Amino acid sequence: MTAIVGGAPARIAPPVQGRQVVLTVIATAFLGGFAWSWLSLDMSLLSFFSGLGDVRSLVGRMLPPDFSDWRNVLSATLETLWMALIGTFVSAVVCVPLAFGAARNTTPHPAVRLVCRGFISLTRAVPEIILAALFVFVLSIGPLPGVLAIAIHSIGMIGKLFADAIEQAQPTPKEAVLSVGARRFQTTISSILPQALPSMIATAMYRLEINIRASSVLGLVGAGGIGFVIQGALRSLDYQAALAAVSMVFVLVTMIELLSSRVRQSLLGENTNILAVRRESAWSRRMVMRDAALNRGAAEEKRLSPPWTSERLLRSGSAVIAAIFIVVAFILVDMPLLGALPKYPDLVRVLGDLFPPDFSTARDELIKGMRESVQIAFVATGLGLFVAFPLAVLASRNIVVRRAVVLGTRIVLLLLRGIPELIVAVIFVSAMGLGPVPGTLALTIVTATFAAKLFADALEEVDPSPREALIAVGASRKQEFVSAVLPQALPAILGQVLYVLDVNLRSSTVLGIVGGGGIGFLLLGSMRVLEYETTGAIVISIFVIVYAIELVGSLVRRLLR
Amino acid sequence: MTSSPWGSDSGAAVSVASLSKRFPNGTLALDDVSFDVPEGQVLALIGLSGSGKSTLLRILNGLHRPTGGTARVLGVEVGGARGAQLRDVRRHVGFVFQQFGLVGRATCMENVLMGTLGRVRGPRLGVRTYPVALRREALDQLERVGLASAAFQRADTLSGGQMQRVAIARSLMQHPALLLADEPVASLDPESSAQVLELIGRIAREDSRTVICTLHQVELALGWSDRIVGLQAGRLVLDRPATELSLDSVMEVYRRTGGEAPVETPQLQTA
Repeated sequence: MTAIVGGAPARIAPPVQGRQVVLTVIATAFLGGFAWSWLSLDMSLLSFFSGLGDVRSLVGRMLPPDFSDWRNVLSATLETLWMALIGTFVSAVVCVPLAFGAARNTTPHPAVRLVCRGFISLTRAVPEIILAALFVFVLSIGPLPGVLAIAIHSIGMIGKLFADAIEQAQPTPKEAVLSVGARRFQTTISSILPQALPSMIATAMYRLEINIRASSVLGLVGAGGIGFVIQGALRSLDYQAALAAVSMVFVLVTMIELLSSRVRQSLLGENTNILAVRRESAWSRRMVMRDAALNRGAAEEKRLSPPWTSERLLRSGSAVIAAIFIVVAFILVDMPLLGALPKYPDLVRVLGDLFPPDFSTARDELIKGMRESVQIAFVATGLGLFVAFPLAVLASRNIVVRRAVVLGTRIVLLLLRGIPELIVAVIFVSAMGLGPVPGTLALTIVTATFAAKLFADALEEVDPSPREALIAVGASRKQEFVSAVLPQALPAILGQVLYVLDVNLRSSTVLGIVGGGGIGFLLLGSMRVLEYETTGAIVISIFVIVYAIELVGSLVRRLLR
Repeated sequence: MTSSPWGSDSGAAVSVASLSKRFPNGTLALDDVSFDVPEGQVLALIGLSGSGKSTLLRILNGLHRPTGGTARVLGVEVGGARGAQLRDVRRHVGFVFQQFGLVGRATCMENVLMGTLGRVRGPRLGVRTYPVALRREALDQLERVGLASAAFQRADTLSGGQMQRVAIARSLMQHPALLLADEPVASLDPESSAQVLELIGRIAREDSRTVICTLHQVELALGWSDRIVGLQAGRLVLDRPATELSLDSVMEVYRRTGGEAPVETPQLQTA
């Protein structure tokens, strides 16, 4: 830098940068959006607390849960699991060729890449519960429309993440295999697939976790699973039976989430043996050493196949168990996958009936509903974040010294996340009546736990060395947190704020399906009276708004980098 | 152009004539390069990074296409070869990469077996998808590079020098008539470098294979190769039997052609 000697006064404030201006504008817009939404939804802290009082009295009436109809509840819970499994499996299978076509390093042609990418992002446009509601009209009530809705909607995420995993594969093994004279297909299978596979399996597991939540609410529109049971119990005011069903959802979601995070941890870690998960136990160390000895022994005996190490046993065992589960799911779910074959053209026709969209027939209701959905999303995001931040700090291992506090907070967050938002919304609606307030409240609670987890992860990822430097110069813990931790975590956290808003916008558009306010009510209504052109108009409006937020989100992430 | 002591076309494993390569971004990586490599010769290709060495090697294996001139490898013009014909040339040409090109998650044995993918049909994933005879051979090749005991270990558990030896075993599975090595020791520590170069040299002598190896350290090339070819900014500036050359004479050639010597030790650069 060329120093200015004398003359101009020394600057003691950094110059204002363009990106700061843009970020300030976006932040102001967010706060403005929150204030506007808060006022126009007629929210007040009073209505919130009285609402919470209603919920408390409802929860009182739900206790103790009534498991007398346990056969029905259990079979509906299992159906939920099978639906999620089949939907995720079908989606993943469809996504393999799509992703190889969409990845830059494996696509046969740039045009193929464009088509695959386009198809992948299109499948995400319509929320699964809306797809399910549409399909129910064609295929009638049952798990099949639910499975199809899950399978189609999941392509958006699975396909994108599969393609990313393939693109992240190192290019040198591919070149090396090409250089021995292998064909393109052989090269892809031998050099790229092994690199992408762990990440692909992890993606499928993660999506299964999401789909379990989805499949437990699809019953609300008649598409099979436990949601149907919950809604039936609430409608007949049998709150204790409803809680029994909800608690099963909770157990299922939490179990799958624990399993999925464990599997992903061992697949995606830096370890070269999947037995050596994050914190090495004496047992896993012993197993890793035993595996190494087995490998060496087999090589010295000049064996021609790899030995059955514990890692290989675990890997093959998991694959076999997964396969068994999927086969069982296909057998047990009452789902005429092939029997419904003649009806599949009707599915395409229903999707086609959404066009041309008709924005005029229900114009005023459309505008009002969309506005309400956006408002719900803003309020739920704003309030949720307000609660989420302190929770996140408490849940961060590197900030809170007491392990018990961290563990306790993490467990509470995990437990609270165990109930999908639409189910929370159904319960709140039956406690507080129809309208946007119960919907917003439900979304707020879900947001708080979801965002707290994201923020805690961001806080735990900060580089410890600047913190040590500040402590070394005598900073207090508070100063150190504000000056060393926050600036490092802030870009990630701000990026996630927009992600949360994006997720909440998608959710708030379907809340109306259970009477929680917003456009969902009109959406379901338009389908019931077979005004598919209006449905099309609503779906397009939702897509436009969600896409706009996504664009802002990616802009912000770029500016923060 | 420096005339080559091995002028004739007969018995040449590689024959390059007026070879040029201009990349789409306008960089001229190779500029009118010609030389022949007779069978069984160990040739060291030296030059600074960016001098065109890697580009030349990659053209010889069809990973890049030349924009001018011809490159005949094992009697086939690789610049025009496509599809099955190109794969046929590649099948007989081993290629050793600076970054090894191993699939880290796969076992060493599977990585070595990948060297046969030009011969076997169909996709292969996992050691047991390859025929037993090939697996036996893979173990032999691993033994040859001194890593038989690591056969079932994941490749990413090895050190850099070990990885490069596995990569060499992979090219040995091709029974290559020609072995191309692109900076095989640039990512390795001095001791592993010496081991890997010694291994390549031993293979070349024992099986009388033709080797073209790029190196940016002249000292390594001198004691090891039969012949040294120097590139500078895409042009051929040196082509001599290694026995006729000393470190100083290489410097001399570079100085005469008006460029910097391809030696990256500070002491020599200031000399």
